[in-house]
Amino acid sequence: MQRTLRSNTRFDLIVLSTCVVLALAARALPNNLREPVATGMRRSFLAPLVMLQESAERGRQSLLSADAKQQYLDSLSLNAMKAESLQMENERLRKLIGLGSGVRWGFIPAEALHGRGVRDETTVILSAGSRAGVSRLSPVIAPEGLVGVVDQVDPTMSHAMLWTHPDFRVSAMSPDGTAFGIAQAHLTGATGGYLIELRGVPFRATLKPGQMIVSSGWGGVWPRGIPIGTILQEIKTSEGWARTYLLRPAVNPADVYQVMILRRDRLAKGLDGVWTSVAQVDAAAQKIVLSGDSAAKAAALAEAAARRAVLDSMARANGVAPLGAGADSVAAAAAARAAAQRAAERRRAAAEGRAPDTTVRRDTNNVRTDTIRRDSVRTDTIPRRPGGMR
Amino acid sequence: MNVGAAIRATITFLIFVVLHYTLRPLLGWRAPMDFLILALLLASVRVRPATAAIIGFLLGLISDSLAPDALGAGAIAMTVVGFGASYLKAVFFADNLVLNAFFFFLGKWVFDILYFVGEQRVKGVELLQQLLLWSPLSAAVTAAVGVLLLFLMRPLLEPTPA
Repeated sequence: MQRTLRSNTRFDLIVLSTCVVLALAARALPNNLREPVATGMRRSFLAPLVMLQESAERGRQSLLSADAKQQYLDSLSLNAMKAESLQMENERLRKLIGLGSGVRWGFIPAEALHGRGVRDETTVILSAGSRAGVSRLSPVIAPEGLVGVVDQVDPTMSHAMLWTHPDFRVSAMSPDGTAFGIAQAHLTGATGGYLIELRGVPFRATLKPGQMIVSSGWGGVWPRGIPIGTILQEIKTSEGWARTYLLRPAVNPADVYQVMILRRDRLAKGLDGVWTSVAQVDAAAQKIVLSGDSAAKAAALAEAAARRAVLDSMARANGVAPLGAGADSVAAAAAARAAAQRAAERRRAAAEGRAPDTTVRRDTNNVRTDTIRRDSVRTDTIPRRPGGMR
Repeated sequence: MNVGAAIRATITFLIFVVLHYTLRPLLGWRAPMDFLILALLLASVRVRPATAAIIGFLLGLISDSLAPDALGAGAIAMTVVGFGASYLKAVFFADNLVLNAFFFFLGKWVFDILYFVGEQRVKGVELLQQLLLWSPLSAAVTAAVGVLLLFLMRPLLEPTPA
């Protein structure tokens, strides 16, 4: 029994020694032999384990980068949201610039600071005051049209009454001057929003839906020609001697952030034709943007064509057909080469003072017969030329 | 050990090896748990020392093949740890979780000492820091995970009642 135990222990020690010697031998292998041995094991029976480890590493990388990717997506979404508001603001500012170029002089640009309290939908704070030249009853306008009138002035800011205010009135007319009336705010019961009603229009004057209404210039506060709104419909009132119309306002005060305050000395000159030119400036700005886009597109196309030409010439230099070239394009390239050769020969012949060799023109005839289509021959346009041969 | 117990032990061994190449890289801790050591220790206490030495040698070669610069270092360390665990199983391996945890801790620490000394890549203060700080931490994590897995896999590892 004891002998068996001793024998087993000896066997265990022999195996241990063998394993340690083998491991030491592996450790002592030169570098150029270690790598092939390890690679052989990795590519054979260890391949599934290596694959598992790679998958786990990829999973870990995905987990680690998930937060960064989410942050990137969030910032992209935020930028997209900002881009939309910036685009709208850009459009508003462009319109304001257009209005400024139409008004030319006598105005003060200002920002409209909206409050969020009670009655704030009928008044607004403006960021320009008496130091900038603002005075009481100065008209406030936006690129779309009439906004309100200044009712209090401080040195650095002023307070304006919007057209939605119950006390606000403006003398209005149709642009052709056939109908006059007084415009004031009209609170709609259904939606709680504001429209404009045009009261006191003579009974004989009929206004059609969609017709523009502008300020008439009477009263000395508002210059003539500022858009107020467009006719929606006539509404029935108790006044039998005059008509009352409902107008869709040209300006929604809640959307106004940049305005212009007209100085008193500007009022006498009127604003006739300003809004027409504003529309023209806006259209011109749109055209400039569109032409810029098309110029960028043309540049991109030219760059792509140049790149394709370089690739084609490289392919030709290598003796293969250009990428994506069919039989037609190859034939066209051959014809172009032949034409270039002929031109060079003609130049050489002209320099030497001899007639060019015309035998090669057979190629050009072959090419040209294809270009003249039967439907494009113009002999039918003058069937019988006077004095011509029949 | 009968055939059923051998099959269950083999399955446990394979599960630990697979965990080493999936869960460990997924977690990517600075002081990682070593499932290969756990597999080796659990196998070693069930076989005689010579077999444990062979299992350790093969497992060491497997782990070394993914780090060719250290080829052989892991094999030496695992051979010694496997042989030692099998030789001392009567002392250490009992039905006591705390003792098992100490067994795992010691196995992993001894392995790290043999491995880093044999590898000769880390030297000086860095080697001391590795052996006295990161290796014990790694051994502790390995012991904790080993005990947890032993607890979870108890039905698979318990001897079949006669």
